[in-house]
Amino acid sequence: MIDKRNLLVEMDAIEKWYGPTKILDKVDFKVSRGEVVVLIGPSGSGKTTLLRCINHLETVQGGRILVNGKPIGYRITNDKLVEDSERNVALQRRDVGMVFQRFNLFANMTVLRNITIAPKLLRGLTQAEAEAEARTLLARVNLADKENSYPHELSGGQQQRIAIARALAMKPALLLFDEPTSALDPEMVGEVLAVMKDLATSGMTMVVVTHEMGFARQVADRVVVMASGHIIEEGTPEEVFENPQHPKTQALLNSVLH
Amino acid sequence: MHFDWPYFWHQLLTPGDKFLTGLGLTVSMALCAEIIGLVLGLVIAQMRLSRPRPLRAFASLYIWAIRGTPLLVQIVFIYTGLAAAGIMRFRDFTLFDITVSGSVQAGIIALGLHEAAYMAEIFRSGIQAVDRGQFEAAKAIGMPPSMMMRYVVLPQALRVVLLPIGNQFNILLKNTTLVSVIGVSEMMLVTETINSATFRTFELYSVLGLYFLMLTSLWTLFMRWAEKRLELSSRGTATR
Ligand SMILES: Nc1ncnc2c1ncn2[C@@H]1O[C@H](COP(=O)(O)OP(=O)(O)OP(=O)(O)O)[C@@H](O)[C@H]1O
Ligand SMILES: [Mg+2]
Repeated sequence: MIDKRNLLVEMDAIEKWYGPTKILDKVDFKVSRGEVVVLIGPSGSGKTTLLRCINHLETVQGGRILVNGKPIGYRITNDKLVEDSERNVALQRRDVGMVFQRFNLFANMTVLRNITIAPKLLRGLTQAEAEAEARTLLARVNLADKENSYPHELSGGQQQRIAIARALAMKPALLLFDEPTSALDPEMVGEVLAVMKDLATSGMTMVVVTHEMGFARQVADRVVVMASGHIIEEGTPEEVFENPQHPKTQALLNSVLH
Repeated sequence: MHFDWPYFWHQLLTPGDKFLTGLGLTVSMALCAEIIGLVLGLVIAQMRLSRPRPLRAFASLYIWAIRGTPLLVQIVFIYTGLAAAGIMRFRDFTLFDITVSGSVQAGIIALGLHEAAYMAEIFRSGIQAVDRGQFEAAKAIGMPPSMMMRYVVLPQALRVVLLPIGNQFNILLKNTTLVSVIGVSEMMLVTETINSATFRTFELYSVLGLYFLMLTSLWTLFMRWAEKRLELSSRGTATR
């Protein structure tokens, strides 16, 4: 199922500790180009932590993470991992977009500026180029009329779609979603999932933490199940949902589906 | 009690050149010190919030030492103490037409270093008041720390820090009187000098007090205006 040459994310034996507590226990996790991976698991199982290791918002205590074939957050010097400078990490993060549960749009900027600022500063686009791209993205998330609004003037669903547009504006190779619909009122979940489905169809590589099993069934190429810091099961949505092997997966699916 | 009203009005409404020069010195020293305080304070706040332990330790030590000792002691230490120890002697220098005396330089630096410690704490609390998610979003999109600070964090911290910075500058304006001890002819020392010739102590210090009241009131009005401006221009930064 996994083509070695096509790996975008390669995590080997990741270990993560918070003080004395082991949060990720030798986790192996790989994502191929174009793949949509949905990450499920009970609360506290380490899904968010794993996701945040991919763009080095979290440090790891052991193991190896390659994004696009390059180590992220660490340099290899004399065969040893050395924590990289914030400046270098920032460069590496440009290829990895992230969408947060609580949107986190820049509160001091209009929608348009939220989307144009990073391409202007980091990709070197002119104002006009950045705005043109931003308007295309706004149309794609169906919010062309909101470019001059401030985040707090928008609904949660609208903010989340802007957040997706903001991430896309950096033309990332990979998009990470951490429960993108969990903070939304039920009637707004659909509009955000629709944008994500559209992205998946267009070939974007995505890792999505979500409880939306319907989305996982429809869109995921692979479902990965975590429990207490381990990956306990993975497979196609059919395999995992129709014929779960691990008792904890069965328990999880029962609790979510019923 | 005898209060010499004519003398009082004369001093208040038509102060002599010396007093006006003192007024100018008071205001310009406060402004220069504030600029030093703002820049240095921002740097120290960044150090305090940074990762490397030595930087954090230095920043904490600085704030602790400055806030724990009297400003008057700091002023004398920097001007007289450093010179006596042969470490640093402030010399007059002339830029274009203006000669800045050594004592004025020392006064500005002492006030600025002092102000920086307070500014650092204000900036730190302002930066910490910004939602963590804003930092994370800026990092995740690939902004290096300097860019994140400039475009995302500081603009949002501004509305938190504006009021305390304004209050601190008000204190600084009044604290300029302390540099009279190293012989800077700001308003306080000028008043003392006139007093030693005329002995109209009550009238003269009433005038001095009124001039400070005028300065601090003008500043307060300016701050009100600035706050209104900020509120209008940053509708977006509603706190959550
Ligand atoms: N900053 C932290 N300090 C200490 N422990 C933490 C920290 N962040 C997370 N943890 C712990 O790490 C474990 C995994 O957390 P994580 O947020 O990755 O779980 P999750 O699978 O995303 O859960 P949820 O579904 O509730 O979001 C939890 O037990 C949590 O208590
Ligand atoms: Mg989580």
